[in-house]
Amino acid sequence: MNDTLNSPVTQRSPDIVMKLDRLGSMHQCRLSFMRTLLRRMKTEGWTFERPLFDFDEKGVGVAVYSATGPERTYSLVCFGHDLPAEQRSDRVIAHAWDSTFTLFDGVPSQADIDRLQQNVPKQEAGRVSHREISVSRANRSVRLFDHVVESLASGKQPDLEKCKAIGYLMRTTAVYGSGKLGAADRELIADRPEVTGPFQAEMLSVYLTRAYTLDLVEHIARRRSPETAVTIDPGLRRLFGVGNSTGLGLAPFVIHHPTLLNNWIAAREEALRRVCAIETASSAERETFAHMLARTHANTETWHSEHPAQVEKLKNLTSDLALLDERIASGALEEDTPWLRLYQWAEQTLSLEGQEQLVSLMLEPYGELVDELSDTMSADEGQSFAIDGAMSLEQLRGILETDYGWALEIDWDRAENQARVWYVSAEKLEPRIGERFEEPIAPYEQPLAPGRDAKSLHSDLKDWEGKGTVASFLLRHPEHRHVVRRAQITRQFPYAEIRDNTISQELLPIDMLRFKLAFFGATHFDPRSDRWVRINMFQNAPFPSELDTCANDDWAYPHVPEKQS
Amino acid sequence: MTYSLNEIEAMGKRAARGVGLNWGLAEEAGKAARWLSAHNLGGAEALAETLTRIDGTSYDDVAPVSDEGTWHAPEGPLCPLMAGPALSDRAREIVDGQSYALGETLNPLLLAPYLASAAKLGQGAVELTWDGASITITPEGLSATGDQLTTSQASAVQCRFINATATVTPAANTGCDIDEQAWNQLAEFMTRYLAPDTEESRLAGAGAGLSDND
Repeated sequence: MNDTLNSPVTQRSPDIVMKLDRLGSMHQCRLSFMRTLLRRMKTEGWTFERPLFDFDEKGVGVAVYSATGPERTYSLVCFGHDLPAEQRSDRVIAHAWDSTFTLFDGVPSQADIDRLQQNVPKQEAGRVSHREISVSRANRSVRLFDHVVESLASGKQPDLEKCKAIGYLMRTTAVYGSGKLGAADRELIADRPEVTGPFQAEMLSVYLTRAYTLDLVEHIARRRSPETAVTIDPGLRRLFGVGNSTGLGLAPFVIHHPTLLNNWIAAREEALRRVCAIETASSAERETFAHMLARTHANTETWHSEHPAQVEKLKNLTSDLALLDERIASGALEEDTPWLRLYQWAEQTLSLEGQEQLVSLMLEPYGELVDELSDTMSADEGQSFAIDGAMSLEQLRGILETDYGWALEIDWDRAENQARVWYVSAEKLEPRIGERFEEPIAPYEQPLAPGRDAKSLHSDLKDWEGKGTVASFLLRHPEHRHVVRRAQITRQFPYAEIRDNTISQELLPIDMLRFKLAFFGATHFDPRSDRWVRINMFQNAPFPSELDTCANDDWAYPHVPEKQS
Repeated sequence: MTYSLNEIEAMGKRAARGVGLNWGLAEEAGKAARWLSAHNLGGAEALAETLTRIDGTSYDDVAPVSDEGTWHAPEGPLCPLMAGPALSDRAREIVDGQSYALGETLNPLLLAPYLASAAKLGQGAVELTWDGASITITPEGLSATGDQLTTSQASAVQCRFINATATVTPAANTGCDIDEQAWNQLAEFMTRYLAPDTEESRLAGAGAGLSDND
């Protein structure tokens, strides 16, 4: 693999792609999981029902939203609660929420609902069964929810600017899948086409949650003032996505699942490679790109953050988009291999935010070429778990020197290079990060520093010259089993490892959150600190009732008014 | 209570880490508990018992001294959570016909999951036996017979690759009933891996600051 894209076009090198600052600049694209889900449901003609919706004027009650595909039905069971304001917290350590949810496999009976009502509101303190696929919760946006209720109840539409600035009525604060709290293990559903792709069940649960938040706000307004209440204008309705508040929990995930990480990144890199290999762009393809570029401007304009790092990145992105406009206006797409040239120009000219935004945009005109890659994004992790003990130590050393060269160059004895410790708190198992030299947390360190571990392995291998095997080495050095497994996985899956220091003083954990959320399909990343980020999901997406009549996969960038000709 | 396989694996890994196994071995211990539980063979229970037995020992106390001859620990029985990974690392040799003999071993049932990689590599069956028990592991599942399957200690264990087909039961994926005492024991070991809560870490560690509301 080359350092950059060249002819014949190859994928970008993991040494370029797997850097935290670049990963932390990624944007949603055609392969994002929300878009994959909605494309599938649209193409397969899924139908939606709301068999139960029973709430009082405070929003206390229960609802069921069912989604039916070619073979199966999934139902989101929603419980609304009356949460005292002082208990409202998005953190893992919270004990109560405004609403709680579970995605049920099928259509729940009354007995199922009764059972779930005893457990789902308690979240981590409750138990569900293998009939449930996910468990989640959401809190109201204090800024917006009450404003929308009051406006609608008094017969007015809510303030447009306020709605735009916030963009959601509720934020989910955790969506648990894969066997959590007793729910179905992934193996149980992994062979169903509709949920084979990563996080498809979780995304479905969030998509139905969005419909619930809109229905609930209108219902409460109607109950408060049946005479005067109005519903939200259809034009305004789509502005509301579902917020999400994400702390550190997502960051360990991407290190704990190296083959999955590889398959996500590899799919996007292969999509980029395919587009870059195109000889000429048709006028229709150029037009689609230009249209999506204009819509990207609109997205950037409504993307707000107060975090200094993100403010700077947004400023760069805005000027990058202007440069990109100029480049396109100068006829850049009319040359041969236009996408390859455009990418190479961007790499020399734009910030990382701009480069990665361009990568996402370049895929837009080429759904037929790249959408199929979404089928390659799940992973059978069990297949790569066992260590290959027959591998020679020479070969292992070779992997370290090739794929972990970045780690071997770091002086891990320096305090700033190992300043941080990832650990899990005794309180509700909340993932946290702390300061190695200021807090007594090192004994609890999680294995989230593959670079440091690779350097330590490389160093111990120096005493094992000659013909040994991995098996004989590990019998005496079992402390290296964890990183040997990772190194062997990385040999097979080049994008499996973040090629950067994940415990450095300079680390911004939000970089790790950002790219995972971008793969989900999130927009409007708004860091609240270096380790906490808010996002918006499904903003501008069609609602379940609109899916069969709307254009396919045309929602991820906001629409802009047509230019007058 | 019924637990999902994912919960069993996560708890097994954390409990093993709590008892002092390094991360690599702890990951494998969690997977082993999951694998046995999926085959309804009491993975969490076997793991809880083994971890209780080795609590306070170090790797060198309970791991094979060498991979030559009959495997044994320096003194006392081998731990399957150390011997199992060493067998898994020798999957190629097992498929090539090398048989392995182990001396005294705690909960030998816990060795079975570690032989699944050899069965897969050789696309055949691996046979694991001790006095009163015989297990055959294939890529499709396993068959287990004998009244000593769940013995807490065997005096000698053998394993080898066999060129034969076997009638096996595949894994089930609908979760597993776990003995409450065993689960609580694992949970107790797990707490050792968790950092005690402090006001400072509560505020700063997750990064949400004073208010995470809007």
